[in-house]
Amino acid sequence: MAAVVSTDTVKVTINGVEIEVPKGELIVESVKRLGLEIPIFCYHPRMKPVGMCRMCLVEVGFKQPDGSVRMMPKPQAGCTLPASDNMVVLTDTEAIHRDRKGVLEFLLINHPLDCPICDRGGECPLQNNTLSYGPSTSRFIEMKRHAHKAFPLSQYVTLDLERCIQCGRCVRFTEEISGDSQLAFRFRGASMQPATYQLTDFESKFSGNVIEICPVGALTNAKYRFRARPWDLETKPGICTVTPCGTNVWFDYRAGKFIRLNGRTNEEVNEEWTADRTKFGHDFYNSPNRLKAPNLRTETGFKGAGWSDVYAEILAHFEGKGSEVGVITEANLSNEDLFMLQKLFRKGFASQNIDHRLSGGWQSFEERLENKLGLNTVQTTIAELENVPASLVFATSLADEQPMTFLRLRKGWFQNGTKVISATSHPTEVDQFAHVILRYKPGTEARLAAGLAHASGAALEGLEKFNPEATEQATGVPANLIREAGEILREAGARILTTHSLLTTSEGSVACEILAGLAHKAGHKFSCLGLKANTAGAKELGLLPDTLPGGIKNSNPGKDTRQMLEDAARGKLKALWLVNCDPLTDFPDRDLAEKALENVEFLVVQHHQAIEACEYASVVLPMTLPAEQDGTFTSSERRVQRMAPVLSAPGEAKASWRIFAELLLRIQPSTPPFGPKDVMEEISREVPTFAGVNYGALDGPGVLIAQPELGEPNLNSLGGTLSKV
Amino acid sequence: MSFEVLRDVAKPIIAGFGITARRLASEKVTIQYPEERREQFVRTRWRHVLTRYDSGLERCIGCSLCAGACPARCIYVQAAENTNEDRRSPGERYAERYEINMLRCIFCGYCQEACPTGAIVLRKDFELANYEREDFIYTKEMLLEPIRR
Ligand code: SF4
Ligand code: SF4
Ligand code: SF4
Ligand code: SF4
Ligand code: FES
Repeated sequence: MAAVVSTDTVKVTINGVEIEVPKGELIVESVKRLGLEIPIFCYHPRMKPVGMCRMCLVEVGFKQPDGSVRMMPKPQAGCTLPASDNMVVLTDTEAIHRDRKGVLEFLLINHPLDCPICDRGGECPLQNNTLSYGPSTSRFIEMKRHAHKAFPLSQYVTLDLERCIQCGRCVRFTEEISGDSQLAFRFRGASMQPATYQLTDFESKFSGNVIEICPVGALTNAKYRFRARPWDLETKPGICTVTPCGTNVWFDYRAGKFIRLNGRTNEEVNEEWTADRTKFGHDFYNSPNRLKAPNLRTETGFKGAGWSDVYAEILAHFEGKGSEVGVITEANLSNEDLFMLQKLFRKGFASQNIDHRLSGGWQSFEERLENKLGLNTVQTTIAELENVPASLVFATSLADEQPMTFLRLRKGWFQNGTKVISATSHPTEVDQFAHVILRYKPGTEARLAAGLAHASGAALEGLEKFNPEATEQATGVPANLIREAGEILREAGARILTTHSLLTTSEGSVACEILAGLAHKAGHKFSCLGLKANTAGAKELGLLPDTLPGGIKNSNPGKDTRQMLEDAARGKLKALWLVNCDPLTDFPDRDLAEKALENVEFLVVQHHQAIEACEYASVVLPMTLPAEQDGTFTSSERRVQRMAPVLSAPGEAKASWRIFAELLLRIQPSTPPFGPKDVMEEISREVPTFAGVNYGALDGPGVLIAQPELGEPNLNSLGGTLSKV
Repeated sequence: MSFEVLRDVAKPIIAGFGITARRLASEKVTIQYPEERREQFVRTRWRHVLTRYDSGLERCIGCSLCAGACPARCIYVQAAENTNEDRRSPGERYAERYEINMLRCIFCGYCQEACPTGAIVLRKDFELANYEREDFIYTKEMLLEPIRR
């Protein structure tokens, strides 16, 4: 909201210095241009100003034509005051200092000031402002207001009502940013308190943010409660590796132990927000089940072994075995790890049985949009969603699967009026602000997509039979809603968003093609976003049986996850390597996974935790987690960002890229990469889309990798596809 | 030669005995430590003690302010939450672990000054010698005052 309202500028004089600022800019922002600061509590640059706390008072006047200045009789709140011509602002007068003291004295009247046990103590704006601007003693000797301490608003957020200064930031966050409107103020005056409407649990997918924006210790992190004080903590920048968005975060750790996560500003990705999945989802760093040393199975059970022994054992079963061995990896390893993994299997073991897909969406090389239609799978970025006329969210619970994309989409609607179409089979958060909601019967995705294409007038072959009435018949979505959505999609420039979970449905692949075709014809942009921290990287770097790094067709394709597990179950696959994944829990067919792990002769389980699959393993390798090694990740919008090491690895655990590089070295003596930096250099040489990506370029907001060269789009095959639906 | 010996050796010896003889008459300051002990100044700062309230509850609330103030960075505090069944201190929070590395401590007393509850105080026990380095990490159990009956 602090954003520039218009491009006209006005001249304001702040503390005697005349500057030009955009017309309508809030004074609290204008003073920052001079390096000054006004103390604030309730104002937040990303939310509408409300003027609730009066901490930001300034003296204001106007220059008269005769050159004199007429001051307003009372101080004004700088956070609600738009800059206008000839304005004179004073932030440093005696009267203002007195006013600030007064405001702070009022705020502290009912404040418990239990800073020593308050989790905010040490990073508390109320402490800071009181120290800088407030009175040093209290004149208040009466009883303070008392309330319930440590009330659990949810499993993540604890509310201490005594400390609340009623600034409304938390309430406004849920209304303006996350959109769940879970919090509101109850009662009035001194008894006013933030709470959920029916005093239910505070259920939000972004609730962790209110902890960070609360200017006092009223809302605190239930998981961090009393675990450390800010000055006990060390902090390093990192990125989230549990969501695909590439959310920028600060890792706080103490004595080498991970303690908490906070949002880190990256305007291109997460602004400053985090999803609860990110903020509270990194507990695995402190898991008691971390693997610390390699283990070999012997007759009597697992035995600790040195790395060279397990390497010898692995090589005995993998080297020279070609297509009899395979690897399944999760796509949340770094680019460097993944690249070395496919290199080890392709160059070292001469095996093409490589896959990163566990839960479905097994599109073949030919079925992929790039190769079938000549269209890119990911065409949008997160930040651009802020300024688009319309968006279609298709078959995904966006707030769960792409939390930061969701927040930007909502910001676009909230601030710039993006018309949002929500097409999902079940209610999602997007419905709350959607212009049209298309609730279809599960399993009719392709028909709905075709209906939408028809209604929006996209000239695609084979669409005729999908008129709104027929689509209503097929999908259960009322024809008038389809028409309305089609109308919105007639105007070019919309964004069509879906995720890989669409590909796991029966019609998903076709729906994906139709939507991409629709986007291409109508001048929209389409994205089918990955679901893991590095799905985009895994695809680009060839962690696929039929695709080599750089999206090149593999003339000698290997087996995908399902085929590998089937072969293993039949004893045809001799050795299987599981990297950071557990087919027993992640693969849709548990019986098959069990049979496969039982029957495969030699099973390597490489993981950071003792997982169920370890029971079946011949060799267990401990690997590090992203914050314990150096590496880069490619987020779902194809942004490469660096995760520099924060913590040290437990025991003998090694970074995955190093495990693969050391094995490769034993097979083919050559100069090994000395660090992930060298691996990245190799990647940028070999994979065209990664050209120009190097560790030097990754400071700042990260680098969007290039789109592959595809030539002219070819939508001819769509007609055939449509006729099959 | 003999004059020089007289001047440089014998004369200082005799002069020294003279001083001893004069001092014999004045009050003695050397005491027979460790059998005898000298009274210490009121502000002497030696070994830390974590004190208790008269009720027996610990004063320390695990706030880490002492650790923040410590110039030698030798205090480690880890807090935990009080429950009504297991109450260690008044209020919500107590120190689950409290350690001071006495090898690093410079006995400046800043911790005592920072403490909001008067929990950590430097008292007069100065006999801190020990054999192992590890033994100089004073744990909460060692620092905490016994409950007075
Ligand atoms: S909110 Fe700030 S001022 Fe209030 S008790 Fe906590 S640290 Fe102290
Ligand atoms: S809980 Fe915090 S953010 Fe919410 S109104 Fe109170 S002080 Fe403001
Ligand atoms: S006396 Fe000084 S050096 Fe020793 S623990 Fe206290 S603050 Fe630290
Ligand atoms: S000794 Fe005092 S300052 Fe140190 S943690 Fe305990 S209460 Fe806080
Ligand atoms: S910051 Fe302006 S009134 Fe609160």
